[in-house]
Amino acid sequence: MSTSTEKTSTFLRRFRAVVAIALIVSGAWYVYANPDHTFKLGLDLAGGSHLIYEADTSSINPVEVPELMNVLRDVIERRVNIFGVSEPIVQVESSSFVTEEQTHRLVVELPGVTDVSEAVAEIGRTPLLEFKLLDQEKLLEQNTLDSVASLVGSTSTTSGAIIGDVKVNGETIDTSVEINPYIDTGLTGRYLEAATLEFAGSGSGQLANEPLVTVRFTAEGATLFADITRSNVGEQLGIFLDGELISAPRINEAITGGTATISGGFTAEEARELAQNLSFGALPLPIELVSTQTIGASLGAEVLQKGITAGIYGIVFVLLFMVLWYRIPGLIAGLALASYIVIMLTLFQYIPVTLTAAGLAGFIISLGMAVDANVLVFERMKEEWRSGTSSRLAAEIGFKRAWSAIRDGNITSLLSAIILFWFGTSMVKGFALVFGLGVVVSMFTAIVVTRTFLVALPDTPSNRKGLWTTLLGSGLSK
Amino acid sequence: MFAITYRKIFLIIAAAIFVGSAVIIGVFGLRLGIDFTGGSLTEVAYSVAPEKVVIEAAVTEFNLGGFSVRESEDDAGRSAFLIRTRDLGEDERAVLADAITNLGEGGEVTRFTSIGPVIGEELKDKAVWAIGGVVMIIVFYVAFAFAGIGVPVSSWVYGLVTIIVLIHDVLVPTALVSLLGYFVGIEVDILFVMAILAVLGYSVNDTIVIFDRVRENLVKNRTEHRKKVVEPGGVEHEEVTYTLTAPYEKIVGSAVAESMARSINTSLTTMVALVALYFVGGEVTQTFALVLFAGVAAGAYSSICIASPLIVAYAEWKAKREVTKS
Repeated sequence: MSTSTEKTSTFLRRFRAVVAIALIVSGAWYVYANPDHTFKLGLDLAGGSHLIYEADTSSINPVEVPELMNVLRDVIERRVNIFGVSEPIVQVESSSFVTEEQTHRLVVELPGVTDVSEAVAEIGRTPLLEFKLLDQEKLLEQNTLDSVASLVGSTSTTSGAIIGDVKVNGETIDTSVEINPYIDTGLTGRYLEAATLEFAGSGSGQLANEPLVTVRFTAEGATLFADITRSNVGEQLGIFLDGELISAPRINEAITGGTATISGGFTAEEARELAQNLSFGALPLPIELVSTQTIGASLGAEVLQKGITAGIYGIVFVLLFMVLWYRIPGLIAGLALASYIVIMLTLFQYIPVTLTAAGLAGFIISLGMAVDANVLVFERMKEEWRSGTSSRLAAEIGFKRAWSAIRDGNITSLLSAIILFWFGTSMVKGFALVFGLGVVVSMFTAIVVTRTFLVALPDTPSNRKGLWTTLLGSGLSK
Repeated sequence: MFAITYRKIFLIIAAAIFVGSAVIIGVFGLRLGIDFTGGSLTEVAYSVAPEKVVIEAAVTEFNLGGFSVRESEDDAGRSAFLIRTRDLGEDERAVLADAITNLGEGGEVTRFTSIGPVIGEELKDKAVWAIGGVVMIIVFYVAFAFAGIGVPVSSWVYGLVTIIVLIHDVLVPTALVSLLGYFVGIEVDILFVMAILAVLGYSVNDTIVIFDRVRENLVKNRTEHRKKVVEPGGVEHEEVTYTLTAPYEKIVGSAVAESMARSINTSLTTMVALVALYFVGGEVTQTFALVLFAGVAAGAYSSICIASPLIVAYAEWKAKREVTKS
């Protein structure tokens, strides 16, 4: 019988096996030492809060809903960012088509935030629009102090308070004085009737076509605005959104028309969003908190630690079983399993797989399943080998015979994973992704890695007594 | 092959398992967790824990309606309580957390989950659809993959038998959870659904491997007859028929015997990993590991002792019917 493998020299086969080992080892090192990519842990492992808000879209034209949901997401995202959470996730989620009523939700994940009340308050807050007069003298003073402070490396806060003493020319200047250069006018977003996006015409003092937001006040607001502008001609009026100064136009004359224009070097997109945020009072859609989940950080770390320990035990047990039962091929299955783990971990680092407790569990059970293809091949190989075929050819035939079972079994598993991913909530998706990836990767390692090593073994007939014959045998038989 | 030789006994056992599991689930029911019913679950851990009654008394004061307190242990090994109530608003949550953490030393809310009834309802729908979807896909795939297996049983029957086996593999762990729910208070949550879905994928894998061997052995043990047939329109085509050279039950029997080592070994490796997950992995995934363990064990058993006897019994029944017809 002449097969392609007989033509391949033994040297080449051994060489391939050595290369494969080198690849696995370097891959493992890479995963271990990779500084740029870390595993992304789900909230249940990292600790944090998971909030689900439902948006009330009943009074809105369905066509506009997706757009408004995006605006809502942006607004919430900005607020969450102000809150100072690292890597928050804010995403729009629609209920799946299997439910009768389409509902639109906003999922907010705040890693590390375990005090939900604060987070909820922050998210539910309406954006604050304030108009404040700028006190030029104090502003100047603050700027000076700021520059002095920055010279000596002290910190300064935007509110004008500077902490610490600074020595200038041997003289100590107390920089911790509270300087507030902004004077409240009492005019806030409460007096707002509408806000619209406009573009500046040429010659109006602004850049042509600069996006602007024009706000129209209520009657009460208009009176207040007129009073403020009348008595402060020449001053700067600061416009604050969520406590941040976004623009400070100079008051050129008393404005009695009840409208004000905010220009702050916006892009058209930002201006449109701001106009929308302001007109809708707060959020473009009313939202309601429907689900909260908080996991303490210590608990998450504990779950992670235990999951990893369980994984290590799982690997050791599976390997032990394989080596005891299948001997040398079992050891090869162990190498295939090692490459499986390395490939999976690399994938976790590079594609955004969020590892959750369920995903970790999925990974651990996939270890057991990953050796399945190996078991199928080994059993087939053993049959051939016992019936007199020498070991290398038996391995080749084993792969060929086992293929249809491996294919059919893995395709059904993969289909299940796809359906799980499709229907699932974010938690189920994590599990499905790990499970699905596991199926594909384990199939690859079982076929490519196991085969490379199996054909590199010395060609041994089963009827000859010797060490290799024993090593290639399996189970309780000799 | 014993499973085929004594197929009547094995089919009776299978029927007993089906009925038994169904009765257990019917009588004891399943304790649905807040994932499906909506509600709140607060886990509070202490370094020095108060008595359970103290917690209960404190929760009663809030007039939250029906609630339950269960003693447990958090993942750091501290004694903890799980307090289940209706879904709590943000204010209620804060007040409750304040009150209960002060009951013992080092009190800390380690976990809080509140799920609105709508979300729970939707999750239930999704779970049903996902399981239904997986089952459908599997029937079609098996029927498609085994198309052409033809004699003496059509590929659809293999698909249907796969489904019967699937139901068995799901019923067994569900009955186990039902019993545990009744006696120990284990609840059905989203992790349970995931475990069941994983069992579905796993079980079908086991069954397919055996059917694959049946398919292979059928091809080995048949002779082909080709016959030219002239259709009424004058079109000529070749009709291929097969006759088996060995009895069907022998073919299936040897297929099962040949793939048994693989079925048992694969299940053992998976079960070994699950045992590690159960004993070493956190409390969160313990039930998950248990359900999967039961499912994998049931899957290994059913692929050998239910799927093959069933397909042989069907072939037998079909042959008998054809004899009486003609």
